[in-house]
Amino acid sequence: MSAAPSLAPALAPALALEGATFRYPGAERDALDRVTLALEPGRVHWLFGPLGAGCSTLLLAAAGLAPRLTGGTLTGRLATLGADPQAAEGRRALAGRVALVTPSPALQLSGIGATVFEEVAFAPANLGWPIGRIRTAVGEALARFEVAHLVERAPAQLSGGEQQRVVLAAMAALAPALWLLDEPAGALDAAGRRRVAEVLREEAARGAAVVIASEDADLLVDVADRLVVLAEGRVVADGAPRALLAGDAIWTEGPGSTSVAALARGAGLAAPHPLTVAEGVARWSAP
Amino acid sequence: MSARRAPAATAPVAGAVGLALRAHPFTPFVVALAVALLAFLLPGPWGPVALYGVVLALAGATGVGGAARTALLVCLPLWLFLFLLHGVLGEGPRVAAGPLRLSAAGLALALAQAGRFGAIATASLGLLRAFRPSRFLDAAAARGWPFHLPYLLVATLQAGPRLRHRAGLVLEAQRTRGLRYGGSPLARLRALGPVVLPLVLGALAEVDDRAMALETRGLGAAGHGAVARTPLDPPRDTAGDRLVRWGAALAVLAALVWRVLAWRAAR
Repeated sequence: MSAAPSLAPALAPALALEGATFRYPGAERDALDRVTLALEPGRVHWLFGPLGAGCSTLLLAAAGLAPRLTGGTLTGRLATLGADPQAAEGRRALAGRVALVTPSPALQLSGIGATVFEEVAFAPANLGWPIGRIRTAVGEALARFEVAHLVERAPAQLSGGEQQRVVLAAMAALAPALWLLDEPAGALDAAGRRRVAEVLREEAARGAAVVIASEDADLLVDVADRLVVLAEGRVVADGAPRALLAGDAIWTEGPGSTSVAALARGAGLAAPHPLTVAEGVARWSAP
Repeated sequence: MSARRAPAATAPVAGAVGLALRAHPFTPFVVALAVALLAFLLPGPWGPVALYGVVLALAGATGVGGAARTALLVCLPLWLFLFLLHGVLGEGPRVAAGPLRLSAAGLALALAQAGRFGAIATASLGLLRAFRPSRFLDAAAARGWPFHLPYLLVATLQAGPRLRHRAGLVLEAQRTRGLRYGGSPLARLRALGPVVLPLVLGALAEVDDRAMALETRGLGAAGHGAVARTPLDPPRDTAGDRLVRWGAALAVLAALVWRVLAWRAAR
């Protein structure tokens, strides 16, 4: 299977926020509070925070959907792939280059695709790709997420996990320069989670910037290159995932860590905590 | 992996058995529209009744006969109401019909209206049965139409089945929480509240989520005509399709001219 073509080296950050502040209509506090970040191409970035931390909002703002479709006010600076996603010109420049995956796969289906093929081809067709290119891209994307056998099935009749894979394939077909994923593995089984992790690593290796908002520390501990912890709309930690997740601060300032780290912490082990089962076994087996 | 080959343009729609389902997607639309116009252009009572007969025959012959049965169930209460309102309670000279003495003018009016409703309901439901969203959008894209208008039409037509599905889910969810749905019509009406509210609120929330999802899938680009959408499998527009559409349009035109001439002659 041929992967999507590599992206040209980009010097500018794929996503740049400078003092970005966002508040939903009628909200009492900012969903994003003076966030300054530069997320680079070729890396997997993980936004980690409890509910209401602002991770999903950051993705919506980066995709140009907040505040344009959600309402609210956005101040500060935000550039997605060097363009302003709020401006009409910026949106035109970003069409097909940004993939947004929301937590509910059923709501991301177009609703008009009679088959999985049509569903995955929906965006490339909208972008006016030649039919030959569409067929190739759809076939490859379905194979990457191991759902090629579903190609003739009706999307609405698939299971939640299958729909999740189809939605991810629909985005992968575009070979986007920027992935924005909100709990991308929420509906998946263990095999699906592993496959998603592999594909996202492949996408980063291709040169795409991958930004994942998730509380799934067990999945992302070995997938992400960089961890950004948010709390109440502010960045409270930013660094290497393993270093941050193994420490104690992630429990007080952030939403916690992996299941194994939680177990170790509960058992009274001092930081740095083991993060995976293998590390936990090694730690507990150590004399 | 070799890419999956989209169905050839000439291939029949998967599962399509009738002519209405195999036809070019614009053809059932034009026919249904023509039926709706003819229902009001043709003089009553026998014009609409004859039209209803033609529509029934067409539905049966083109594989959407089920639509005729559904339309009949929808129309029956209405027909009964029309008969009572115009035939029994209508004014003017009476005619004997067994033990009843009915208004002759009222009966004619009821018959005309019954024919109109029957023809329109059958044609509309037949159209819905023959409708395949992706084929319709492909047909529109092949004509170079901006995407947002056909998409709006398709989304509207799709809203009914989606809401019905959601209503079923909401009802099941409420039943597990103790809602009793059944018994007398009044009891059923009372039970509607806990179903309708989540249904409407959920649908509204879904609109937002879906709009955001579609926005990132190139709908904005194609929708506003910035880019011409690629038809994935443009349906074949046969000579027969074109003949049917032109025939329907000419029938409407002829009926219109006839009515205008008749109206001018009557003056």
